[in-house]
Amino acid sequence: MITSDTFILEPTDQQLWTGIRNGDEQAYTLIFERYHRTLYNYGSKLSGNSAIVEDAVQEVFIDVWRLRAKLTENVTSVKFYLYRALRRRIHVASDKFPVTEELTMLPDQEMPYTYANSETMLIQHESNSMISRRIQEVLSQLPERQIEVITLRYFDDFSIEEIAGIMGINEKSVRNLIYKAITSFRQTPQHFLVSVLILCLLIIF
Amino acid sequence: MKHDPYSLTELIRNDDFVAWVRKPDERNEMRWRQFLQNNPRKKQTVESARRYIIFMGEDTGKSQPTSEQSDKMWKAVERHLRGEEEVKDDEIVEEETEPEPRKILSGWRWARIAASTVLFAGMASFSYWYYVNHAGQANRFGLTVIERSWENRVEKNNATARPMMVLLPDGSSVVLQPGGILSYEHHGNAKTREVRLQGKAFFEIVKDESKPFLVYTFGLATKVLGTSFLIDAPKEGKEINVAVTTGKVSVFALEGNDNAHDQVNSKELKGFIVNPSEKIAFSPESGTFKKSLEKVTVTESEGDISKQAFVFDETPVSKVFETLEKAYSVKIMYDRDRLGDFPLNATLTGQPFKGKLEVICSALDAAFEISGNRITIVLMSDQ
Repeated sequence: MITSDTFILEPTDQQLWTGIRNGDEQAYTLIFERYHRTLYNYGSKLSGNSAIVEDAVQEVFIDVWRLRAKLTENVTSVKFYLYRALRRRIHVASDKFPVTEELTMLPDQEMPYTYANSETMLIQHESNSMISRRIQEVLSQLPERQIEVITLRYFDDFSIEEIAGIMGINEKSVRNLIYKAITSFRQTPQHFLVSVLILCLLIIF
Repeated sequence: MKHDPYSLTELIRNDDFVAWVRKPDERNEMRWRQFLQNNPRKKQTVESARRYIIFMGEDTGKSQPTSEQSDKMWKAVERHLRGEEEVKDDEIVEEETEPEPRKILSGWRWARIAASTVLFAGMASFSYWYYVNHAGQANRFGLTVIERSWENRVEKNNATARPMMVLLPDGSSVVLQPGGILSYEHHGNAKTREVRLQGKAFFEIVKDESKPFLVYTFGLATKVLGTSFLIDAPKEGKEINVAVTTGKVSVFALEGNDNAHDQVNSKELKGFIVNPSEKIAFSPESGTFKKSLEKVTVTESEGDISKQAFVFDETPVSKVFETLEKAYSVKIMYDRDRLGDFPLNATLTGQPFKGKLEVICSALDAAFEISGNRITIVLMSDQ
């Protein structure tokens, strides 16, 4: 039972979790309110079908209430629990069986330094709107798993360890996926062509 | 090619760096400020890395449900909640099942409705961040203002040694003392205006009788229609002090108070009324109020804004601005040569910061522009 006092102080997830275990509807409502939007957002990266995502989000919450008496007392992170459950739901619903990620088989070594050369290609002096547009463009073309990792890391603020737990892969693979995604921001040939074109036009006129 | 651990891609992937951008706290703030001081050439790279991280977060967070979808999902979930109950308790319970504690919760229902503002709030807080970092305002005043937003709320944490002015969306102003944390809704379109406070702050609230203004502190709500007052809520369980400068304020306990819901929602001021120049102490332990005999006095003392009257009588503009700068911890830029000696007559007690500026500017036939804690005054004739 949450008192109005703890309520005013924004109850912690842990407090709400305990509340749910004791059958507190308020606590349950608050957890739904707190996480359903970001869960849906994450789910959208796993399935392009909004009906599947909606259903999965609902089912995750329905399960929490249905199984409330059996919930472990001390989950390390309620958020982590919800995200992992959602991922499983969506994968079952969209008939995706956990495929062994080819990345996990990459040798356990740091990326070669030569990659650091690409550094100079990442544009540092662009305006905000240009960076924002570039990011949007690149992200829209990334493979699903890279997008998933980027979302969990930079939007949902999960640690590498937690992401590994959610996705069922090892931490090294998570880091590799992030690295791959970030290096995609290197200037693409198209951009190069456009710049050259503009330069040519400037010279001509 | 030498490997640089602080290159752009390395920074974007650095856990501590990401934490600093996404969840700044005292520790990582100190670490990265220090890093910048020691490596001034990395400034551009650090800025870029921050932008990449923030934009990636913004972009990947764009697939949130519409409020219709949110409602739809909640209804499906709620059906289960109710449905299951009926099965369990059968027909014995009907109307009574409406649980009593829901009362307090209902105030939160609007929060769900305002769901679609999430992204906007995120973007706005980013632009704030961007401003603070790029305009160099924060450094000028030695401020480390930690601001973050979640859902549609904004939280301001004054981790500096000086008071900090916070302008609320409705035009009201708050002077947050060091160590204080204030959170508020980013959009002023809710039924009530609500903020949460931990620590000490002086409020000057825009009058709007249709939208009461509420301050929640540990177990105590302070409700006003438009006034100025000081609240000191240092810690959970500690005594909370409310001192009123102008107008009327009502306070009431939230715990063990059956009328709290009604008192929050009604348009009138109910509960314990605190009048101008009165002071009240609330003890969360016993849930009792104690009116202090000591009167709140307003003088021309400088520094403490809650004790300032802001009465100006033939006072030169330079002095008026100086008073405002000290009270609100802001910097006012104006043409000192042309305006400095202009005499002003005004009583600005209890008015929000913007209100004060409006009065002064109309006397000077000038306009003002606020960006962060820097205010620029421009004469109309110069525009």
